[in-house]
Amino acid sequence: MKAKRITESILDTILYLSGLFNLILNAFKNLPSLRIRPVRTVFFRQIYFAGIETLGKMVIIGLLIGIVIISQITSLVGVGRGELIGKILVWVVIRELGPLFAAIVVIARSVTAISAELGSMNVQGEIASIEMMGIDPERYLIMPRITALTLSAVMLTFYFELAAILGGIIVTSLFWGIPFEQHTKGILTSLTIPELSASLVKSLLFGLVISAVSCFQGLKVSGSITKIPQATTKATMQSLFFVFIFDGIITFIFFL
Amino acid sequence: MITLECASLKGFLDCASLAISGGRACVVLTETEFEKNLILRIFTGLTRLDSGKIFIFGKEISSFSYSELNAARKGMGIVLNNGGLISNLKVWENIMLPLSYHSSSHHDMDEKMISILGKIGYDDDIAVLPGPLPAYKKRLAGFARAMLMEPDLIIYDSVFEGLSPDIRSKVLETITAFQRQKEGRASLFLDMDGRLPDYIRADSTYILKKGKFYERN
Repeated sequence: MKAKRITESILDTILYLSGLFNLILNAFKNLPSLRIRPVRTVFFRQIYFAGIETLGKMVIIGLLIGIVIISQITSLVGVGRGELIGKILVWVVIRELGPLFAAIVVIARSVTAISAELGSMNVQGEIASIEMMGIDPERYLIMPRITALTLSAVMLTFYFELAAILGGIIVTSLFWGIPFEQHTKGILTSLTIPELSASLVKSLLFGLVISAVSCFQGLKVSGSITKIPQATTKATMQSLFFVFIFDGIITFIFFL
Repeated sequence: MITLECASLKGFLDCASLAISGGRACVVLTETEFEKNLILRIFTGLTRLDSGKIFIFGKEISSFSYSELNAARKGMGIVLNNGGLISNLKVWENIMLPLSYHSSSHHDMDEKMISILGKIGYDDDIAVLPGPLPAYKKRLAGFARAMLMEPDLIIYDSVFEGLSPDIRSKVLETITAFQRQKEGRASLFLDMDGRLPDYIRADSTYILKKGKFYERN
């Protein structure tokens, strides 16, 4: 009995993962559909909602995080070691915090919105209505969401990292009197291709997996409107889970 | 336009046959809403038959791929009872959606939409989300959306439900005029109201009973 349950749960997980993989794969295949005007409109709306509207808050969070990190490092290693401070700042912000914070903000803002929206569309028969018009929901609803959320995650990561590093440098230069050039030297020597690629790969993967999970959970809602909150909770928790798993895996591949 | 040959679907259709030819107005009456919705799903290829054949525009669609089905759906206009509008699109975006999705030329689409809305008597704001609109207005917007595609076959899903006699005759007038606009265009009314064939003067009426279609004289 127990073995049967374990087998069933493994099979469910495999099916779920293959479902996510298929959504992402189909989104890539359907990329040329961005030429279609209504698809492009959905794409730009998602970019605006997930990326542009979040940008201001993301920059403020980045600045604050940069200040906090640099204050802690300076207290730890002392004021005269600007190069080391710059290096640690790059390691912490570019390798880890940038992609992670951007992913968490995207999850908080867009996962619930997308899963609830798609779930409600499914329950109200709107997705069937779209199909009856000869429109493929994977092209019209899913692909623009996956693409836009992924691009937004990459864009937010970049701005977060920029704000955090600039914020950190400005604060230490102003309050501790560490010369600007010392930091810049430390940052530039630490900013290697692996650091930047790890950040890019992480934010890309996080964006893909977050968007696929939220679309998948939204599309799974059927029958009753009461299932929508369950789907949004599931989507949020699973997105967080996948983000941390992938974060560990990528860090391991790149830096260990 | 649509032909069913010995179509079977477990618990629903039992070797049922039906033929709706071009240029005609047909009514299909069902006893329950579930049956009506299932028929609509079968006719649009959303639900596949267990056995039997279904021809749409002369082509057997059972073996159609998803993209082939979508291509066939382009020739059909569906006016759903609840309008079938997308809740996060404004009314005008809903009306333009199929046309702007399927057509690469966007020339004079807006004028066409405004002209159709005038014809069917839609006098509400089109720059709003459809949520707060009454069901009748949503249905009218759905009708405008279907008309804009110039379909060869138009399916009406309980479109007269809950309408006052005045509005009903106005809607019927528009439907009749639209059917006559294009030679060979067929209209199919799916409904549960047994009085429907009397006031729309359908060319043929089918009743679904115990899994089979019976033609009513």
